[in-house]
Amino acid sequence: MIVRERFRGLFPKYLFVLFMAVAIPLAINGVVEAWFGYRDQRERLDQLLGVQATSAAAEIHDFIFGITNQLGWLVQVPWSDEPDERRRTEALRLFRQAPAIVSLALIDNRGLERLYVSRIGLNRIESRTDRSADPAVVGARSARVWFSDVSYHRGSEPHLTVAVVGNRPSVGAVVAEVNLKLIWDVISAIKVGKSGFAFVLDRPGRLIAHPDISLVLRGAEEATSKPFRIIRDAIGPAGAGFATSRDAQGREIAAGAAPVAGLDWTVIVEQPLSEAYAPIYAALWRTAALLAAGTIFAALLAYTLAHRMTEPIRVLEEGTEKIGAGAFGHRISIETGDEFQRLANSFNKMAAELALAQQHQERIAKLKRFLAPQVADLVDRAGDDSVLDGRRAEVVVIFCDLRGFTAFSAALAPEEVMSVLSEYYEALGRAITQFAATLISFSGDGLMVLVNAPVPVEEPALRAVDLAVEMQKSVQGLIASWRSRGHQVGFGIGLASGVATVGRIGYADRFDYTAIGSVVNLAARLCASAADREILVDAEVAERVRGKRSLERLGDRQIKGFDEAIPVFGISLTTP
Amino acid sequence: MTSAKFNATASRGGIRRRDLLSLMAGAVTWTTSLHAQKLTMPVIGYLCAESPEPFASRLKAFHEGLREAGFVEGRNVAIEYQWAEGQYTRLPALAANLVARNVDIIVAPGGAPVALAAKAAATNTNNAIVFEMGGDPVQLGVVDSLSRPGGNITGVSSLSVDVSPKRLELMHELLASAAKLTVVANPTSPTANSQLQKLRSAAETLGVRLQVVNASTEKEFEPIFSAVAEEGGGLVFTSDPYLAFRSRQLAELAMKYRVPAITQSRDFPMAGGLMSYGGDFAQSHRRAGMYVGRILKGEKPSDLPVQLVTRLEFIINMRAAKLVGREFSPSFVSGADEVIE
Repeated sequence: MIVRERFRGLFPKYLFVLFMAVAIPLAINGVVEAWFGYRDQRERLDQLLGVQATSAAAEIHDFIFGITNQLGWLVQVPWSDEPDERRRTEALRLFRQAPAIVSLALIDNRGLERLYVSRIGLNRIESRTDRSADPAVVGARSARVWFSDVSYHRGSEPHLTVAVVGNRPSVGAVVAEVNLKLIWDVISAIKVGKSGFAFVLDRPGRLIAHPDISLVLRGAEEATSKPFRIIRDAIGPAGAGFATSRDAQGREIAAGAAPVAGLDWTVIVEQPLSEAYAPIYAALWRTAALLAAGTIFAALLAYTLAHRMTEPIRVLEEGTEKIGAGAFGHRISIETGDEFQRLANSFNKMAAELALAQQHQERIAKLKRFLAPQVADLVDRAGDDSVLDGRRAEVVVIFCDLRGFTAFSAALAPEEVMSVLSEYYEALGRAITQFAATLISFSGDGLMVLVNAPVPVEEPALRAVDLAVEMQKSVQGLIASWRSRGHQVGFGIGLASGVATVGRIGYADRFDYTAIGSVVNLAARLCASAADREILVDAEVAERVRGKRSLERLGDRQIKGFDEAIPVFGISLTTP
Repeated sequence: MTSAKFNATASRGGIRRRDLLSLMAGAVTWTTSLHAQKLTMPVIGYLCAESPEPFASRLKAFHEGLREAGFVEGRNVAIEYQWAEGQYTRLPALAANLVARNVDIIVAPGGAPVALAAKAAATNTNNAIVFEMGGDPVQLGVVDSLSRPGGNITGVSSLSVDVSPKRLELMHELLASAAKLTVVANPTSPTANSQLQKLRSAAETLGVRLQVVNASTEKEFEPIFSAVAEEGGGLVFTSDPYLAFRSRQLAELAMKYRVPAITQSRDFPMAGGLMSYGGDFAQSHRRAGMYVGRILKGEKPSDLPVQLVTRLEFIINMRAAKLVGREFSPSFVSGADEVIE
């Protein structure tokens, strides 16, 4: 559980890191792009408004200078003292061509008014009024073309006085009154963007031209012109780039200005800020949308990647837990084609090896039940337990048991019986192990041991006799202490050699190794007939150890299950 | 004016709704919503001293102006007409009619009498008035000033009244030898006195004797022409709607008696008269229509300065000149905006 706890944070950790790895560059890119886009758009707006203002100023300039050019045609011919009907005709023709001219006066080289024609007032022909001191005439003489300040006729219609002189004094001058209301035709045709427009202010900042004629007709009023002057002041010197301001209705606007060449007027173009900035807003929205989409993408990507990285780890974790819990058959299935799969494969291999090792352990444990440990190991190392298969073999069978143990055990407490028995078997076991004999079975106080099967040994009979002697000696040592408690207990051993069928018998996991044949019966009978301290062997065993161990012929004995009496030999404990 | 604004907005909404519904549900819905829309349409009360026929060209210009401001009769605005059929005394009653019907705005085109009648009828009501006249609305007391009309009234003035002396000048120039010129004035006109005053001072400047005759009914026309035909000289008509809208009769009489005459209206030379000098009525009526549209959209009449017409028309008829045995000098022809040959 500690392991799991430590790994719990891995998914969110990966998720966070991967998300940041994608989202941060995206965000930086978006912000940078938005910033540059904003700057570019502002610059474009600046250029756009600048161009619009300049072109509007040029149109206003053309309007005014178109009039002065036409007026110039009236000052081409030198004056004489005679009345000149032709000039009147020309002046009237000019009226038709230039509707903005309300009236005009022709002044001769001496500064006398020779002709005055008006659309409304009466004409004056050859009035010869001295107008040489008229500021219009004086101004025009010094600058060829002269413009008055804008005046508002009856406080409403803006008028401008224009004076033009010819290229030589003798042609005189023309002074014309121009109704600026007619700039409306020009100004109302100027469109800035979708709903932007242009307007014109004179030097003091009064409104001269605006698409809404009703504003122009009140241009002389401070209240009308002030909002427009505020826009002009916000822009600063004409051509200084665009500015944002508010119009008379308080709406935010972007405005640019340009001067009208030759006049002290300013043309201002304005556009609602929302419209002017629409491309900027659109770009910002686009960037924001892309950022949002990018973030979602980053989150999905991060989730997927984090999942792909942690999922194998989780599978590994689960798998190792199962394997650790002993489920060696469990296989970790990871198909990522990378280190994780390799790791899983190693785990699987390890699990398989563990399973093999466990099988090996189990088999050893099984074999050890009846084989001497070293023999068991040998069999196991060979990896082949065919040695345990059934066959006929020359074996030495040893039986031993205690005499009078039943009575002895009845007198003892069960714990004591068990403790006595365990002492007894420990002593026997040590001996069996020492001589690498095969323990076939034990029941109660008796047991059966096989020598030369399943693994053949050198001189099995001799080894079996030595084992028996060792057993007898060990047990006698134990018996001595039991006897001191007043119990009549004895220990006898019987040995027989011959051919027997040996092999595994049993079912499922309960297998025993055993030997079947008359030699087994013989050994058991010999054991049964052996007295305390006695080791009885048959003729064959005796034959094999003759001269090597001290034998004592005990004569023929009638053995149960055998028709004839058979020769029995006893092994002396003290020998050799 | 808030009600007019509300109505205008509501009717625009109505159109959108109508479009949508007619698309979805067909003709039945269309007719019902059209009915509903008519109820919410703003209503213009059109007060006119004349009858529809001589006024048709003016009305057309007015409709043009309305359309320019976004209004079309029958679609998003209704017009209630009151025709005085030339009987100027009926004007106050007709104006009162419109006020009683609670129209959203009263239009008083075609002269000072109409504007004055409308203004008088709408006193103490909040009816907006847009006038179209030839006179000076400040001098007539219709508005406070050109730039700040004040009250609930504004409009357009052609310069016809102001240029009466110009007509005298033109006639004098044509008939340089004539010592006496006859001026025709309508004594019922509110501007008659000021015009005569200006004409007299102009006559003095020009060095010509003036004979002033009055004409306020059609019956009085013929004796004037026959008298001038006998005595010689020319006829100069003062600016007056009654006279202006009778251009055809005047032109017929001028042709009949071969009398050189000048009026304010282009209708006169068009119908065979000699010449005319006056404000461009197409422009003034169109601008009046635009002002009506702006007011229907919610602007206040007091915020709309009185507009003066920028265009003065000088029209001459060469055939009429031949008829009266005169010839236009080159300066006349080059100065004319239109020459009828």
